[in-house]
Amino acid sequence: MRILVVEDEPTLAQQLIEGVSAAGYVADVAHNGVDAHFMGDVEPYDAVVLDIGLPQMDGITVLKKWRAAGRTMPVLILTARDSWHEKVTGIDAGADDYLTKPFHMEELLARLRALIRRAGGHASTELVCGPLKLDTRSSRATVDGHALVLTSHEYRVLAYLMHHRDEIVSRTALVEHIYAQDFDRDSNTVEVFIGRLRKKLPPGLIETVRGLGYRLTNPA
Amino acid sequence: MISANLRDSLRFRLLLGTLLWILASILVSGWGLTKLFEQHVTMQFHAELKTHLDQLTAQLALDDKGQPALTMPLSDPRLNKPLSGLYWQIDRLAGTDVKPETAVLRSRSLWDQLLQVPSDAPATGEIHHHRVTGPDNAMLGMAERRVTLDGLYFRLIVAADERLLLEPVAHFRGQLWLALGVLGAGLALAALVQVFVGLAPLRQLHASLARVRSGARQRMEGGFPTEISPLVNEFNSVLAQNAEVIERARTQAGNLAHALKTPLSVLANAANAPEKRNDELARLVATQVETARKQVDYHLARAQAAATARLPGAGTPLAPVVEGLVRTMLRIHAERHLEIVVRPMTPLLTFRGEAHDLQEMLGNLIDNACKWAVSKVEVQARAEHEQLVLSVDDDGKGIAADQRDAVLRRGVRADQQVPGSGLGLAIVDDLAHMYGGHLALADSPLGGLRTILTLPVTK
Repeated sequence: MRILVVEDEPTLAQQLIEGVSAAGYVADVAHNGVDAHFMGDVEPYDAVVLDIGLPQMDGITVLKKWRAAGRTMPVLILTARDSWHEKVTGIDAGADDYLTKPFHMEELLARLRALIRRAGGHASTELVCGPLKLDTRSSRATVDGHALVLTSHEYRVLAYLMHHRDEIVSRTALVEHIYAQDFDRDSNTVEVFIGRLRKKLPPGLIETVRGLGYRLTNPA
Repeated sequence: MISANLRDSLRFRLLLGTLLWILASILVSGWGLTKLFEQHVTMQFHAELKTHLDQLTAQLALDDKGQPALTMPLSDPRLNKPLSGLYWQIDRLAGTDVKPETAVLRSRSLWDQLLQVPSDAPATGEIHHHRVTGPDNAMLGMAERRVTLDGLYFRLIVAADERLLLEPVAHFRGQLWLALGVLGAGLALAALVQVFVGLAPLRQLHASLARVRSGARQRMEGGFPTEISPLVNEFNSVLAQNAEVIERARTQAGNLAHALKTPLSVLANAANAPEKRNDELARLVATQVETARKQVDYHLARAQAAATARLPGAGTPLAPVVEGLVRTMLRIHAERHLEIVVRPMTPLLTFRGEAHDLQEMLGNLIDNACKWAVSKVEVQARAEHEQLVLSVDDDGKGIAADQRDAVLRRGVRADQQVPGSGLGLAIVDDLAHMYGGHLALADSPLGGLRTILTLPVTK
């Protein structure tokens, strides 16, 4: 899962990146409205944490531009402006949630998880595929109740596939959602992660769809 | 007695002044015209007497016996009709060897009466005028002249009933006052119309100002005459300036909030980092950051509201605000899968105040209900006794009756307040009070708390 963090205050931006990364997401950061708009427009983020008071272009304008261009990723507004008037303006501009500063990192993460889950059409915080369960709150996966030991990259690949259960996910899409923007991407590494996951999971859960990508599905 | 209210009325003053002036003018012209006419008629009366006197003088001659006689009767037929009101008489005056004799000749109209002339002695040829009582006790206007004829002295007298003089004057006076009365009434009506039409813009001004005051309009509108439009323009610019100042204050408050809260966020996150969980300083920072946040929230809300409650001309339609808030609540509380019901409300309900403040009050109430509700929140609004009554219900656990006062009392005295009590109700109550409204808590039919917000409504 890949998150875009838009925050102009560098220390807070760094804290957000750390918090989001610790929760198992990969995060990109934008420090002004223009960069934020560009990144959100070209990269497939799974969620955005958006500040309103930004240099060059304010957050509401960025959000409206994304929505006008058909970008539907969930957006959480994180701002100091906490009047109901501003909240209504933010939601009406296309935001999916609104959190005011100062905030607890736990609450931000809980809301992000909920946004991503709802965007994938999942009602519960726990994603299930046969014997495999993924608890999005604790970032932990179990098979028949036994915890799986996963590296962070393996977890991200598995989480993305779980969020898109029964869908064909291309290798490119996986790469885009598990690596940050400035990371040296190599789609071959995806095959390595898939291979490792298959060894840890019951057989048949991850299918290879020739020429298209992978699909997580319950064979039973 | 004229009430002070009426005395202070511009319309009354203008009307009273004009009416008094009209009355005075009519009285003076009536009196003057009557005098002029009387003079004219009197002159005519005297001229007529003189004509008859001249005729009498011309016809007077002595007959063969040396007795005075008229060579021809006078032409006016009234002189032959008894007691017609027009008379003549010739007296012989005392001379050498001649005894005076009254009425040696007289008109038939005099019948058996005589004209008594006050004794005076005008020079020969000179005409004297007198007023005497004649036949039937009528007042007569009289002209006399002394003439000499062949050594004899005669007094020629012509008299006419003064009614001949007075009748046309009385008739004229009646006509004149009637005409002047009609003129006066016409002028008074014109004055009335002029005052009402002339002062109509003032009434329009009043109505326009009332609309601003009641919040129906943001500025004074309508076409005003050139004497009043500068006033209206000035007033509108004061309103605009006011709004600008308030908008600036609001923006500054928002900027201050932003400037304070971002560093607070950084501090809070640093203190809440997992590796600092047991650090005493980190805990202290975390609690103090929380206190600072509540203080900032509370005082900013108050500062912003204090500015706007004094801004006249603000009116906010209710329905769009409620709809916007419900949309927002459904997003923010999406995880709770709440049902938020807005009962149908009168479409034109309008809050007499700023949209921001209404959003703030109602937002806090609905948000609070959403936080405590199990599954359902209900919002309703109605106008009651010229007030807007908004209520928000939830099916949560509610607040015990003996604790409700405590929750609201915090809003009364600022120095005892615990800002951001977790319910936001204190802020709502404060804001409502600034608008002359109030917040009340009650049991909800849904099982939880009902908050009832009473606010001024725009008619």
